[in-house]
Amino acid sequence: MLALEFPPLNEILRWRDLFPTFNKVAMIAVAAALIGSLIFLIAARQDGSKAPKGIRNFAEMLVEFVENQIIMPAMGRSGMGWTPFLLTLFIFIYLCNLPGIVPVLYMPATARMAIPLFLAVVVWLVYVGVGLKHQGLGYFGHMIAPPGVPAALYPLIGPIEILSNLIIRPFSLAVRLFANMLAGHILLVTFSLLTEELVFEGDNIVFRILGVLPFVMLILMTVFEVLVGFLQAYIFTILAAVYIGSSAHPEH
Amino acid sequence: MLTAVVTRGATGFDVAFVPQADGGAGDMTYEESLDFCEFPFEEAEFADQYEATGYPCEEGPSPILPEAKELLWGGGSFVVFLVLMRFFLYPKLRKGMDARYAKVEDGLEQADAARAAARAEVTEYEAALATVRAEAAERVDAARATLAGERETRLAEVNAEIAAQREAAMAESRAAREAAEADVRSAVTDVTSKVLELAIGRAPAEQVDAAVADVMNSEVRS
Repeated sequence: MLALEFPPLNEILRWRDLFPTFNKVAMIAVAAALIGSLIFLIAARQDGSKAPKGIRNFAEMLVEFVENQIIMPAMGRSGMGWTPFLLTLFIFIYLCNLPGIVPVLYMPATARMAIPLFLAVVVWLVYVGVGLKHQGLGYFGHMIAPPGVPAALYPLIGPIEILSNLIIRPFSLAVRLFANMLAGHILLVTFSLLTEELVFEGDNIVFRILGVLPFVMLILMTVFEVLVGFLQAYIFTILAAVYIGSSAHPEH
Repeated sequence: MLTAVVTRGATGFDVAFVPQADGGAGDMTYEESLDFCEFPFEEAEFADQYEATGYPCEEGPSPILPEAKELLWGGGSFVVFLVLMRFFLYPKLRKGMDARYAKVEDGLEQADAARAAARAEVTEYEAALATVRAEAAERVDAARATLAGERETRLAEVNAEIAAQREAAMAESRAAREAAEADVRSAVTDVTSKVLELAIGRAPAEQVDAAVADVMNSEVRS
């Protein structure tokens, strides 16, 4: 009997260090920062007074996307000062997601917990800091006694709000991004293995023909991962914007 | 039992059929594991680990727990990228965008001003056109009135001239008729006198001539 044994999950997430401590995830993260910086460096060096084209056009499109599709709906015009932070967040996450479908790399850096966790902690620090800056200690007071809630419900709502704001939000931010990207990565690995096993390793013609099915699914899932990568970057960024906006303006 | 063991290799995934005993390690040698595993055990611990795990390769990291080196590199990359974006790249790009937007806005304002000026000119032109048209209408009306007055005057003159000519013609006609009547009366009186003279052998009395003349006058006039 032949059995396809899926490698242990941790096995498909491990690579040799290129040099001590520097593995593929680190390489992708550094590449994401470099590529993002390079795009904006080239764009910033071009004459801004003329109609944008090429890389500058692309960079301005990213800026306007973040401003119009993330900041305006989540924070309003007063949130425009957060454009650099949210733009960086969006680009970095997307460029870390994208290698999940890039041949040779085939690994989103966000499918490991480190980067989502780090970014979620950064967002947490930022929105707590913004809350303290705008509301002082009243920020925590509003969590315990949310405005507009009947006093009788404070014992119920207060702990939920504290848990939600201080623990669940960063946790869910990190886990949502990590779990989605890891699931996508595992799906791609699964269909790759099935295709290889059926088409190249099987000695039965029926299996070889059936091997087309996981291959088609592999192609479809790869296309789907492009969308998922973008969507997860968008969701992480817009939630960060919503959290920061709600810390700055608790009445909303 | 054969188990297909899949590992990630330099050229993609490697699938190998590993003989494995039920519930224990297979019979892969340490030398074979060096070729087979991307992360082989140290030789000293190979036998024990293989026996304990049933898998000839060292396991990878926890799929859930973050690794310190990834946190360091990932976080460091993000922070560097953020600092570059916040203080250098984005402000420069934004400055160019703002300058262009201001230029476009300025152009739009100028276009609005030019449009407003053009509209004012059109309004002014239309007002002038209306004035000129009113003046022209007034002049046409005046000319028409003048023409009508002149026509009336001329008509009156012509009518008067016609009336005078008619009057003269009537007078001339009347004179001609009276002359003709006088001639007829004279002729009739003469004929009557001659006839009476032939009839009575002498010239009729003057009273007869006067009576004939009266009859003639009354008959001719009627």
